[in-house]
Amino acid sequence: MQDTSMTSLFVDLTNRLGLNYEFLATGYEAQIWRDGFITTLYLIALLIPVSLIAGLLFAACLTSGRLWLSAPVRAFVEVTRNTPTLVQLMFSFLVLNTFVSNLVGGAQNNPLTPFFWVVAVVGLHIAALHAEAIRAGIEAVPSATVEAARGTGFSKLQILRYVEVPLAFRASLPAIVNNLINLVKLTTVGNAIAVSEITYASIMVWTQRDNVVSLMIVILLFFSLINLAVARIGLWVERKLAVPGYGL
Amino acid sequence: MTTLALSEPRKSSHLLRNIGFVALPLVILLWSLTDLTLGRELVTWFPYLASGFMMNVVISLCAMTLGTSVGAVFGILELAPYRLVRYPVVAYVQVFRNAPHLVLIFATTYIFPFEIVVAGNYLPFPDWLKAVIGLAIPASAYVAEITRGAILSIPTTQWEAAKGLGFSRSQALRWIILPQCLRRSLPPWMNILASITMGTSLASLVGVHELLHAATDASTSVRRLDFTIIAYIVVMAAFFTLCYPISRLTRRLERRFNAA
Repeated sequence: MQDTSMTSLFVDLTNRLGLNYEFLATGYEAQIWRDGFITTLYLIALLIPVSLIAGLLFAACLTSGRLWLSAPVRAFVEVTRNTPTLVQLMFSFLVLNTFVSNLVGGAQNNPLTPFFWVVAVVGLHIAALHAEAIRAGIEAVPSATVEAARGTGFSKLQILRYVEVPLAFRASLPAIVNNLINLVKLTTVGNAIAVSEITYASIMVWTQRDNVVSLMIVILLFFSLINLAVARIGLWVERKLAVPGYGL
Repeated sequence: MTTLALSEPRKSSHLLRNIGFVALPLVILLWSLTDLTLGRELVTWFPYLASGFMMNVVISLCAMTLGTSVGAVFGILELAPYRLVRYPVVAYVQVFRNAPHLVLIFATTYIFPFEIVVAGNYLPFPDWLKAVIGLAIPASAYVAEITRGAILSIPTTQWEAAKGLGFSRSQALRWIILPQCLRRSLPPWMNILASITMGTSLASLVGVHELLHAATDASTSVRRLDFTIIAYIVVMAAFFTLCYPISRLTRRLERRFNAA
């Protein structure tokens, strides 16, 4: 009861400003719209760890010094960075997805949903960007530090695990936060293959009610807030992980 | 420099990079030669795809021109000594830097009218022009941030020296500070150019006839899986040939400016 009166008050007030949020009072459209927000948040929460883990793996391949590991990853990184994500998404969804469908014998058996393809494509795209940042970080670790670790008796893997990756991660943190902000923005491409994230849900509403401006204001504020939060958390982590005397 | 390039002799690393550059066109060529019916379809549709790609280039160039001119002014205004000027500009930059490109393209497409009246004449306001504005908005916000950062990175002693030589604030900005900013902001500006160029493909979602839209059209009318695959590879190759040189040049400039 409390909730509905709050909604109607909001609708009333914004109506006086010339904005139309009447759909909030209806059950169906409001539900789709709220689900859109939740889907976007869910996508972001899922994509951040996926992109970070894949990015770390790519960076390990890039800096391994073995050509058969680094060359394919390098090629993948270059192609991903220099082609639009939307094209990659359409390609994956229309081509790879069809292959998978043919393999399992018909689209009805295909376990891969559009949601999966958004996570895979956007996740790997951002992972390629992370990989470049982490690679630059690993290469920026002073050779004297690595020498010292080797002198202390660390194995090659231990040096990577305890010396190079922590320092590289710290050095590449600003770039990673930047990539994560890109990630948040990229979740909207899911709209192209009918993943009901926030823009898709909003299109549903505004084709019925013609209130594009009202919805746009909310969407822009929503993304501003999320990215503000991502940037703030990133800054907090950067301060927490500050390396004294290292200039970071 | 990658470890790859460091461990390998310079010549072969160049070769490796160039293989990456010609691999996609080579795949397209070989595939269409082995299956001549596919090749013929591709040749038939090629002008259509090319006209789509022209649209991408036009949108990207217009959006960057508009975005850069507005953004440079906003970057200077962000440092204006008057709060009344500064705060709205800072808010604009913050909101539109964080907004997804797709959302802005939707916004301009659906909010702007489809024709405008200028002195009694009805002028059409086509979708591609709306996409230009939709992409120019984030571009201007990024350029504003770059300009602001570049101006702030110039040591304050330069301002003081300019003042000592009798320059006013705006004269110092015009003749001393901004020329130095140009060099510093070139690499990040080129990053934006690449990202806006790739962003032009989003215009296909609002029905602008550009490359991705053309490829979707072509593949729905040919209705062959191998043609669909090759059409999308063509799209990737087109964007790659446009964006890869930009990103290579960016990296080279960054390295040179860091060394200097």
